[in-house]
Amino acid sequence: MKEQSQNKKTPNYSGVLAVKVDDLTVAYNYKPVLWDIDLEIPEGVLMAIVGPNGAGKSTLIKSILGILKPIAGSVSIYGKPYNKQRKLVAYVPQKGSVDWDFPTTALDVVMMGTYGSLGWIKRPKQKEKKAALEALEKVGMLAFKSRQISQLSGGQQQRIFLARALVQNASIYFMDEPFQGVDATTEIAIINILKELRKAGKTVIVVHHDLQTVPEYFDWVTFLNVKKIATGPVKDIFNDDNLTKTYGINYKVSIQE
Amino acid sequence: MNSAQIEIQLIASLVAIACAIPGTFLVLRKMAMISDAISHSILPGIVVGFFITQDLNSPLLILLAAFTGIITVVLVEYIQKTGLVKEDTAIGLVFPALFSIGVILIAKNANDVHLDVDAVLLGELAFAPFDRLFIEGTDVGPKSLWIIGSILLITITLLLAFFKELKLSTFDKGLAASLGFSPVIIHYGLMSVASVTTVGAFDAVGAILVVALMIAPAATAYLLTTDLKKMLSLAIGFGVLSAISGYWFAHWLDASIAGSITTMLGFIFLIVFLFAPSKGIIAVMYREKQQRTEVSLLTFLLHLKNHTEERERHVNHLQEHINWQKVRAKTVLDLAQKNNMITMNKNIVSLTNKGDTFTSKAIDYIITNEDAQIEDMKEDFFLFRG
Repeated sequence: MKEQSQNKKTPNYSGVLAVKVDDLTVAYNYKPVLWDIDLEIPEGVLMAIVGPNGAGKSTLIKSILGILKPIAGSVSIYGKPYNKQRKLVAYVPQKGSVDWDFPTTALDVVMMGTYGSLGWIKRPKQKEKKAALEALEKVGMLAFKSRQISQLSGGQQQRIFLARALVQNASIYFMDEPFQGVDATTEIAIINILKELRKAGKTVIVVHHDLQTVPEYFDWVTFLNVKKIATGPVKDIFNDDNLTKTYGINYKVSIQE
Repeated sequence: MNSAQIEIQLIASLVAIACAIPGTFLVLRKMAMISDAISHSILPGIVVGFFITQDLNSPLLILLAAFTGIITVVLVEYIQKTGLVKEDTAIGLVFPALFSIGVILIAKNANDVHLDVDAVLLGELAFAPFDRLFIEGTDVGPKSLWIIGSILLITITLLLAFFKELKLSTFDKGLAASLGFSPVIIHYGLMSVASVTTVGAFDAVGAILVVALMIAPAATAYLLTTDLKKMLSLAIGFGVLSAISGYWFAHWLDASIAGSITTMLGFIFLIVFLFAPSKGIIAVMYREKQQRTEVSLLTFLLHLKNHTEERERHVNHLQEHINWQKVRAKTVLDLAQKNNMITMNKNIVSLTNKGDTFTSKAIDYIITNEDAQIEDMKEDFFLFRG
């Protein structure tokens, strides 16, 4: 019941903060990868995190999710620390972060999304299986449910990952480069699902590489390069100035409105 | 079969099962070498434990030795984390160091310890039935049977309880962490089970065979299935099969039981490695040959599609022009004809409608790399099966 009410918060910039990051600093071997990041992500946005390679985009997501330990700073999800709000958050890691030769099927991978709500020891049952099948259908992969995951194409694997996040029925979705190495059809399918999530009042945060598609896909953007350069609505801040500050060379936004 | 023979086979089989379970996860986590490290570096733990307890089968000794196994894992990870050496180097540094401490300890106290390096490396399964457990004066069976039986029971209980967590953290550590299943706890849980199993099995089968029993059955099973549960059952099956057939092989040869079991493990792996239906060497070679033929077929069909003039479509011309040997050209022609993609009239080849559609679709696929359109073609042709 509690979850339901949280899911039903008014969509689109209700003024509620989904994620708040304060003074976050993360370092690998004493080399700061993220430096003193302050970030406020309003509920209901579809946000891109952009920045050059090594800017700390994945690191930012992983630190918010508690996968990496920051050396300073704090993160809150709807006003509380992450480990109290796990069930509100779903995460789609980079496709390359797992071994696709692992002996398991597409359906089984999607079922893994239900493990969080099950907790330790309890096994997934019919209810979880049903949810997983629905998620597979949503991403157009139902026909592949029994297929071994190495027998799927890159785009299909990405859809399986997306389905695994959908099955968590979260309020905030973090995705690490979901468009990496997928074909055009899959890219469109994925972005449509993300837009649906936003319509349902969810907050979606995506590490994104293709600057061309930012205005088309997203309504909110964060520029990141070790430090936070800017964050806000795409229409206000996605401009040459911020791109140049982030990427260090002169950028022209070559996108026609 | 006398009762000692049955007991030896039973012990060997239980050891095989107890090893196959953690072994499967070690193989999937690409940590096979860590079991080698553990099996060697528990030696000082066993020796020190033996000084304290004076009993090779004491539970305290098992825990002490297993603890050395965990120390190995911690040390390896610590050295690796410094970034100064790679993981395999770290393993290669840690376990010989610990093992050699054990060897020196044994040598210095050889007089009062009934442990020798041979027994440590190869085990003494044949003697296992002689060391018996008595409860209130009643003989309840060999001690090793009780030890490995208890360890197996714990392992199976843990596996059933935490199967989901093990699977998740093995497949996707990041997701496990974000869902609140600490990969570190699961990792050390698995390492503890592997260490305890190694120690428990050590006395019976020795350090080398423990590694073989952990890795070989799992590696064999991996080649045969794409389902984790099946992989576990197959690994257990191969372990038991090797244990029993190895015992009789040793009986027949009058040789070391541990050595024979290891030989069987290797033999079974070899057979599967060669003949596994989809991942075996022969299947892979066959598939590659098929793919080459299919690429040739496609080249040939495309040539036909591009050339309507008869001179370009004569069989002899094809041989000269596309530069194929006779056999190759014949294979390709046969394959095309069998699939009703071409017709031949006085050695002039023409595309059928089916052949024409197939060619366009295939070329389309290769250019756009879109999967949806060719799902139906995958059935007929290896080329499109990824």
